[in-house]
Amino acid sequence: MNLEFKKSIAWMRENLFSSIPSSILTVATSFFVLGFFRGLFGFAMASDKDWLSVLNNMQLYMVQAYPEEDFIRVWISVGLALVFAGMSIGLWKSTEESSLSEVFSKFLRVSLAFLFFTVVAPTFSSVTDNDGIIQTEESFPMETRLQLLIPSAILVVVFFVLKNLKLNYKFNKSDLLCFYLAIPIVLMWIIKLPTIQLDSSNQRIFPDPLMPIADTTKTPWTIIFGLFLAFYFIGSRFKDSKNIKRTMSISWVLLPLFIFSWIFKKPEIDLPTILGQDIPIFIGIFLIGALTITFINNPVVEKYFSIYLGVLIAITGIALFISVPILLKSALLLLVLFTIVIPAVSSSTKGKRNLIIVWGVSLFTLSVLIRGGSSDTQIIVQQQSIFGGFSLTWLLAIFGTYVSFPLGVLLALGRNSKLPIVRLVCTGIIELTRSVPYITWLFFASVTMAVFLPEGVNFELVVRVLMVTAFFSGAYFAENIRGGLQSIPKGQYEAADAIGMSPFQKTSLIVMPQALRAIIPTLVSSAITAFKDSSLVTIIGLIDFLTIGKVIIGTQSIPVNFVGHDRENLLFIAFFYWIFTFTLSRRSMKVEKRLGLGER
Amino acid sequence: MSKKAIVSLLILSMIAVACATEEAVEEVAVEEEHDHSDESTLDEVIERGFLKCGISTGATGFSEQADDGSFGGFDVDFCYAVAAAVFGDYSKVEFKQLTSAERFTSLAAGEVDVLFRNTTWTQSRDTELGNDFGPTTYFDGQQLLGRKADGITESSTLADIDGLRVCTNAGTTTEKNITEGAGLAGATIELVTVEAFAEAVDKFIAGECDIITTDGSALVGRRAVNDALNDWVIFPTSPISKEPLGPTYRSNDSEWADVVNWTVYATIIADEYGVTSANVDSVDTDALPELGRLFGANDGELQTKMGLSADAFYNVIKQVGNYDQIYSRNLNPLGLFREGGANDRWTNGGLIYAPPAR
Repeated sequence: MNLEFKKSIAWMRENLFSSIPSSILTVATSFFVLGFFRGLFGFAMASDKDWLSVLNNMQLYMVQAYPEEDFIRVWISVGLALVFAGMSIGLWKSTEESSLSEVFSKFLRVSLAFLFFTVVAPTFSSVTDNDGIIQTEESFPMETRLQLLIPSAILVVVFFVLKNLKLNYKFNKSDLLCFYLAIPIVLMWIIKLPTIQLDSSNQRIFPDPLMPIADTTKTPWTIIFGLFLAFYFIGSRFKDSKNIKRTMSISWVLLPLFIFSWIFKKPEIDLPTILGQDIPIFIGIFLIGALTITFINNPVVEKYFSIYLGVLIAITGIALFISVPILLKSALLLLVLFTIVIPAVSSSTKGKRNLIIVWGVSLFTLSVLIRGGSSDTQIIVQQQSIFGGFSLTWLLAIFGTYVSFPLGVLLALGRNSKLPIVRLVCTGIIELTRSVPYITWLFFASVTMAVFLPEGVNFELVVRVLMVTAFFSGAYFAENIRGGLQSIPKGQYEAADAIGMSPFQKTSLIVMPQALRAIIPTLVSSAITAFKDSSLVTIIGLIDFLTIGKVIIGTQSIPVNFVGHDRENLLFIAFFYWIFTFTLSRRSMKVEKRLGLGER
Repeated sequence: MSKKAIVSLLILSMIAVACATEEAVEEVAVEEEHDHSDESTLDEVIERGFLKCGISTGATGFSEQADDGSFGGFDVDFCYAVAAAVFGDYSKVEFKQLTSAERFTSLAAGEVDVLFRNTTWTQSRDTELGNDFGPTTYFDGQQLLGRKADGITESSTLADIDGLRVCTNAGTTTEKNITEGAGLAGATIELVTVEAFAEAVDKFIAGECDIITTDGSALVGRRAVNDALNDWVIFPTSPISKEPLGPTYRSNDSEWADVVNWTVYATIIADEYGVTSANVDSVDTDALPELGRLFGANDGELQTKMGLSADAFYNVIKQVGNYDQIYSRNLNPLGLFREGGANDRWTNGGLIYAPPAR
């Protein structure tokens, strides 16, 4: 204990107070940081803040007007994502372990932070009264501080002792993660929160009584956590199976699409359309693809393959702009993409069989998703879209990244292409999209796009916004990826050529993996930007997470009056966005570490 | 050879696509023209099965969204009333929350059928922008709000704000009104514009501006919420501008205009007779023939000729309420009362007046 104390003194002398300028810097910075925290606490605890305006509107924040009788769908969506997460954590179970004393040192750090904040929190905060005079009021009285201080001090001591017992029981890091996640679930059953209660004449009763968290919130979370644990154990059972891992990765990609097009949306399914339209299209397109795969090595087919491909591209191009079922359009598009790669991948009989299976499964998945996505929803909301609040932000962020990333890869490759037309078109798309502000594109989606679409095609506003978002962030992704492509030494291309790789193999096996690896930080920052930029949709009348807090809650007078409580909501929103972006950037740093980036 | 073939095919396909799109665009244009000229919005709404109503993203007392996602407010209630008149079911309405920047574009593009979005009826909006305005549902006017501590009283005028910092939201008529008014009164002001009114109030409370100005209804509401009846003063007593707020629809569609207008009038007439949603079933329609005609007690041909069902306005009163009910339910809690103001009944000296139902 004494040694550790000396160690920390030595560390401080070496790192914080090594010279006079460094000491001054240390003191000044800690002064600023402290002042910032004190200001933030003072702001949050002042008596004119009503934090219940945040808590009471959680439902509005998350799903806006999604009807309560269909909430099971929201829970299923969240549950599926967490079940997948549990399964993945199990499958890719960490081999690292930490000892019990390391766990206690983590707890010690948390309780130390809590103790620190309790100590530095200001007793007084300033409130401007109606005459415009700044008053100070006691917002954090000594009794409250002591009530918090004593338990946290006890916790600090307990954890400090426990940590220094040097208990050496080892725990798996993934097991520990599940344990940490259990803490908020348990807390949910223990803590009580102030709740708004109205009397018979709809007047709010003060003070707000402390009530346990509603069963409709904690029960689903508990069930989901139980499933999470169950799938974690299932996953860890199968952690050696490569096939399950691969299926899991693909499922992750498909999960949000499935959630948004089927679970959350509750599409109206019309059996005659499926039988009379979807199934024939599926069978027809599937057969074309399967036949091409089977006979690709036939000399006659080989001879006319490029013409066949050209005709296919032409048909697809035309089909995109005439009034045919959207499933046909997208299936043709997929067929073209598949046909381009067929000569490169299918040579052996086994390879062909596998490719046919992959082709069938992906076409089927596409058909299912398109059916759900293009059908009308059965959910009845009194507003334009069933997406609102966080569900809209999430939709825009996920789809923005999902669609724009592959698009960005294609555009970047196209811009580096040797074919002048492809290069010209790709450069044109990139430059046109990038040179116009995002807000202008949003207005284009909202007002102008209807004129450009063919007759009978009328997308929902959200879909139109998704389209322009995909192109907009796609253009940025493309330029990032192009930067990555340029970082690949010429020798890599030449080496791939030397061993006789086809252009497709060269790109997918040699160039792209290296290019993407080099630009992970830029890609993540693009994704973060896309996530935050989604709040701009508010100007065309879509209500995202930010708009709920900024506009809607600040004007509520019925049933509870929250007029003017916009600042605490803005603070909450900032915190919420920060959690997501921070998690994302931490995860990406871990990925970078694993890939050994920056060690070249 | 093969590459050339692909390239030429690509070019060919692009030409084909270009032709196809051109044709499609032309067709769309023709189709749209057709839509707007021949079919009345009323037929469109009935065919669609629900009303698309444009409201504000957030205006206290006028259009609000509650914590469970449901809508309420003075403007929202009139949307409900129109839906009740057309479908006999007030809930058949889809709200579109519009910012002030896009409300008219949205209306012109046919994305909403009617705007109840505290929109001021002005000459240019009526004539140039292709809108028509219905009967005013709320007579508002721009006023200013200051502190008693700064020496502002209820009898203060625009001349008294000389040298003060005035906050208002940018790009609205309020900004223009205050600059014009202060200029005429010979007062030099420092104008601070913010994006939303809530921000202006925050700045006012923080002392970053001495005066805020916007429509009187919003000022009264905020003063009540902040519990500042004794500290904050709203002046001048007669507003510096006229802001008649009411429904807006696309011009030259009198069939639809009639439906919207007479829905508003029906709530006003019911209020004149003191008929509320509670007592509408016990109205003696023989003794009160105007109500009999309005509620379709006899043959209801006044309504059927408009393309509505005979009991359309009975449904409005039964399901939504009369003007007074709509007003007091939404605006009384904010400290806005009808008595003695412009929004009182015409018999009490107000401006709320409806033509007779005959």
